[in-house]
Amino acid sequence: MIVKDAVCPFCGCLCDDIEVEVEEGRVVAVTNACELGTTKFMGEKRMKNPILRVGDEWKDITYDEAVKYAADMLLAAERPLLYGWSGTHGEAQCVGVHMAELIHGVIDNTSSVCHGPSILAIQEVGHPGCTLGVVKNRADLVIYWGSNPIDAHPRHLSRYTRYAEGFFLENAFRDRKVIVVDVRKTESANIADEFIKIRPGGDYAVLSALRAIVQGKADTIPRTVAGVTREQLVRVANLCKSAKFGAVYFGLGLTMTQGKYKNIRNAIELVSELSRHTKFTISAMRGHYNVYGSNEVNTWMTGYPFGIDFSRGIAFYNPGETTAVDILARKECDAALIVGSDPAAHFPRKCLEHLAEIPVVQLDPYPNATTAFCNVQIPVAVTGIDAEGTAYRMDGVPIRTRRVLSSDYLSDEEVLARMYALMQEARER
Amino acid sequence: MTFLMITGRTVNQGVTVENKTSPEYAAETSTCFMHEFDMMELGLDDGDAVRVTGPCGEVVMRAAASPEVEMGTVFVPYGPYANHIVAAGTRSTGMPDFKSHEVEIEPADEEPKLVHELMEDLGGLAYDR
Repeated sequence: MIVKDAVCPFCGCLCDDIEVEVEEGRVVAVTNACELGTTKFMGEKRMKNPILRVGDEWKDITYDEAVKYAADMLLAAERPLLYGWSGTHGEAQCVGVHMAELIHGVIDNTSSVCHGPSILAIQEVGHPGCTLGVVKNRADLVIYWGSNPIDAHPRHLSRYTRYAEGFFLENAFRDRKVIVVDVRKTESANIADEFIKIRPGGDYAVLSALRAIVQGKADTIPRTVAGVTREQLVRVANLCKSAKFGAVYFGLGLTMTQGKYKNIRNAIELVSELSRHTKFTISAMRGHYNVYGSNEVNTWMTGYPFGIDFSRGIAFYNPGETTAVDILARKECDAALIVGSDPAAHFPRKCLEHLAEIPVVQLDPYPNATTAFCNVQIPVAVTGIDAEGTAYRMDGVPIRTRRVLSSDYLSDEEVLARMYALMQEARER
Repeated sequence: MTFLMITGRTVNQGVTVENKTSPEYAAETSTCFMHEFDMMELGLDDGDAVRVTGPCGEVVMRAAASPEVEMGTVFVPYGPYANHIVAAGTRSTGMPDFKSHEVEIEPADEEPKLVHELMEDLGGLAYDR
């Protein structure tokens, strides 16, 4: 059986033109997806049933036992952390927020270690963004800043920018210029018309220099700024000003380096400046396929996009205090529920040392690095493969992922709903 | 020698990220991409083990020459090896300094650990069924 127009649940591009061939309950071929998506669709080695750690042994347990363990753990905790959420569908995220409110816990998603700083900047100066379709059809200049789409979002270039057709561009490949700004000469830099190589940590200074040039103050710029020559900066500023429609896509090269959200703020302000001369937009290259959705769901349910602390009985948000890395490093939480992410692979070691000391339950289809720190892991269906649900693309467009095969695994939403029902029952007693 | 360590996504890291118990994931995320002149200075060949010491510990990785990185800088794919030495401070943003750590690198004569060995060192229990 061939499933057409399947949605790829890997990165924030959420490509919706995938063809998946299924035979005897297994994916046997994938067409149109990139290497990352294909591997995810073809993924094997799922965990077969829930497991419980007893001393130095792993024991198989039933779903009912696992769900009860998780509910009891969260109810008994004084400061539970509910973390992850970017690798699951919106319906499951909703249950997570309700759960965090019920038990006065902290709910945080993976954006605190990816584009959380971008959101902080947007909260300061707004987000002049647009959908990917607008960029595909109109943009004659695209800038990738601190982002390497060939490795991280392989089809972004072919669907929307470098190799895409554009409705309002006669010959998109010729008419659309691509600029890459990075500290490394990545594969993406190799296919750009112009590569700006910045000294590590120099993004803020280069953004400020470009703002000054766009404002007509090129004579105030020194000979080089963070390793970039004045001549190149002036040339790039002119390219930007003479574009009909420009789009900036930035990655973790801006959010994870020094300055963090201030880098993004400066980039947004450069875009505002450019919009006095022409049309310019800026957006983040979101990583997980539904990290954007997690921010959306949290925001429409609590008012805040990530790092939400319900310990006061109301939603409270203070990144740096109510975010997962900080809470774990301060050894503050006394239980953790992990859904759709793998903090043990992506958090600093100090956080893992605390995870080892507290009860942890994880919902994930596969054994991963966090499994080692779990008391219980519950395998679930993979959204977009054997579960369906809503995800938000990196430009904020909600797309319903499809189920391409059926399995006996429960979805994240079903497992969480069972847990939540037990918790509500216990609280009403 | 002192280097600036930058972590980031690679295709191979992304391809193996849903299969973290695989040797391919361990091999990719324990690779320390360096400039060939820096490797020469340290007497390293491709695939040699290096001890990378960061602000909160050390970890053994394998060096690989890359034309993408500048001298004085190393690139390590996101994962448990780099994070074994990354500090947890976030400067009140929630975000650790994943791309701006100073590390010391020297040749080592031991193998990089497996992912589950790193996790067990920190108090976890490997699951390898």
